[in-house]
Amino acid sequence: MKVMVPVKRVVDYNVKVRVKPDGSGVDLNNVKMSVNPFCEIGIEEAVRLKEAGSATEVIAVAVGSTACQEQLRTCLALGADRAVLIETTDEVQPLGVARALAALQAKEEAGLVIFGKQSIDGDNCQTGQMFAALANMPQGTFASEVTIEGDKVKVIREVDGGLQTVQLSMPAVVSTDLRLNEPRYASLPNIMKAKKKPLDVHSPQDLGVDVAPTMEVLNVAPPAERAAGIIVDSVEALVDKLKNEAKVIS
Amino acid sequence: MTLGDVERAAILAALFTYSAGGRLRMPTFLDEIFSPEQIARDDDSCANWGRDWTRDRAPAPSAVVFPKTAEEVQALVRRAAETATALVPSGGRTGLSGGAVAANGEVVVSFDKMNRIVDFDATDRIARCQPGVVTGALQSFAEDRGLMYPVDFASSGSSHIGGNIATNAGGIKVIRYGLTRDWVTGLQVVTGAGELLKCNQGLTKNATGYDLRHLFVGSEGTLGFIVEAEMRLAKAAQPHRVMVLGVPQFPDLLKVLAAFQQEITLSAFEFFSQIALDKVRAHRDLAEPLSTPTNFYALLEFDDSEEDAAMAAFARVMEEGWVTDGVLSQSDAQAASLWQLREGISESIAIYTPYKNDLAVKVSALPEFLTKVTDCVQAAYPDYEVCWYGHIGDGNLHLNILKPAALSIEEFYANCGTISPQIFALVEAAGGSISAEHGVGTLKADYLQFSRSPEQIAVMRGLKSLFDPHGIMNPGKLLV
Repeated sequence: MKVMVPVKRVVDYNVKVRVKPDGSGVDLNNVKMSVNPFCEIGIEEAVRLKEAGSATEVIAVAVGSTACQEQLRTCLALGADRAVLIETTDEVQPLGVARALAALQAKEEAGLVIFGKQSIDGDNCQTGQMFAALANMPQGTFASEVTIEGDKVKVIREVDGGLQTVQLSMPAVVSTDLRLNEPRYASLPNIMKAKKKPLDVHSPQDLGVDVAPTMEVLNVAPPAERAAGIIVDSVEALVDKLKNEAKVIS
Repeated sequence: MTLGDVERAAILAALFTYSAGGRLRMPTFLDEIFSPEQIARDDDSCANWGRDWTRDRAPAPSAVVFPKTAEEVQALVRRAAETATALVPSGGRTGLSGGAVAANGEVVVSFDKMNRIVDFDATDRIARCQPGVVTGALQSFAEDRGLMYPVDFASSGSSHIGGNIATNAGGIKVIRYGLTRDWVTGLQVVTGAGELLKCNQGLTKNATGYDLRHLFVGSEGTLGFIVEAEMRLAKAAQPHRVMVLGVPQFPDLLKVLAAFQQEITLSAFEFFSQIALDKVRAHRDLAEPLSTPTNFYALLEFDDSEEDAAMAAFARVMEEGWVTDGVLSQSDAQAASLWQLREGISESIAIYTPYKNDLAVKVSALPEFLTKVTDCVQAAYPDYEVCWYGHIGDGNLHLNILKPAALSIEEFYANCGTISPQIFALVEAAGGSISAEHGVGTLKADYLQFSRSPEQIAVMRGLKSLFDPHGIMNPGKLLV
């Protein structure tokens, strides 16, 4: 069984994001870019399935600029067998990505497609679900445990206030939550080997899809700065402020 | 007839009496200088502000004061000089040599309330800091302006800039960015004589004789107290990568260092032993970095842009057989977790109340030195675990001898004390330093002669009496 893992190139989780002064977006100049952490969990899960003998091949896929090759090489170093870049200079949005991946899935016929539940830049949490609809596949989102059972996959989902267990017929879509696994480090010998693994580049046109954005970003603004605190003289003054200014007690 | 300073001090000192608990009664002049909330005399405060990270001496100050201005510090020092009151400066209290311990009824001068960055000039790239600015706060301040304060170490979240300067703190990026000394462009200091000296006021070039600033850097509060510092900031760092390599043989670490330095600019080259790794992994619940454990590990940091050259160097050290395995961070989050393996060690071994030693020799002398010191400890106490880590790229080793659980702390420290002179003799023979970056404090004051000649120590004493004629500035530290 093939496992396909879409991965997104995003601003590193540890970077303090700065909004451009003109509000047109986030300043990416000299900023560390990495594999979206949830996608990294997806790669780790796929590699573990392969190590356990449940999967035969792990394919990492990215939709985006040529720079995404850097993140695909990371996935290859982490254990993916081959990588595909669907290259576009367009700004990538969930629907376009889902369409491109659905077209690729029609060719690859992967038994399992593991998405990150969302990307930490756009926070859309849409691509996996849109893909499932377009490819007409069942989906188990926000997975904290994935078990292959014959031609079915059991997914334990993190839902509000508890866990939900679902069983899906494969081919199926899974999206990863934070607790699914802890990704390994890329070993240097594997990074060297990854340079020789195949990385195919397609254009959206090759796949017969249009990934042009359908939404326009009008403005990006940073969160409002928190006002400075004050020191009050007495408990009475504090209670008064909490009651009448902050209105958090009555 | 007017009394001389010394006579007056002697008379006033005689007026102090010991309270029932044995603690020196608090000097009354503090109330004349400070408002009540700036003075603490309760046992909890005295215990808290009266010590650093060392635990070998119980804190027993007579009071803790929290000045808010340089003028208050100056007034305090002047009155302390008149009354022969010993003062101990206190910053983030993360020192490891007892430099900020007040165990003899001294007045602790905490800079906690002098914690503002007063001024910043983008053209000069200089931040004017009060001494109590936390190192991490200056780092964030720089980062917010697209710059960097590059001196960094495990305790940067607590340590103060003033303390960094007084100990000339080094840390993990010294190999590329140097020591605290290299970033101090100006200092304002209150000397033991109560004079306010403004040293160098932010100039890069200033060829007007003795650079007094550098006398205060690393002086451990024995000459004067820093009340303001002008700190230079650097261009922001490029995105970087962290590599951890498994190196079975210690001498090969140096070959690995040389191989990488030939190809790339390293911003860190750290090492730790398997024992250290085991402790930190257990303490912080961290994953094993390599699939094949080995005796020693090197942690390297370099700019993202040099990745290809670093990979070439890695290929070479693998071929040579110096390195058996390695990992490379793929994100800043991974870089941070790899750093934890190194930076978490000190904290993770604290439960073993380790006997710590912070030593430096020339990089080339490291392998022989490490072997000799390990042999020396093992010969005397074969059941003691020796935990090595440090900034090997600059010749700095942290030796930690871990206390066996069954042994009492007193017996353990006493035993380790008996081997200290042997270790320091090995340092002296290797032309090294008995304190690379932790300072001398009280812990190593008795051993200064292993790194400094009698002539040098005499000059140091001369400087001490020049700046601190009454002997009130952090007495009992560095020079005894």
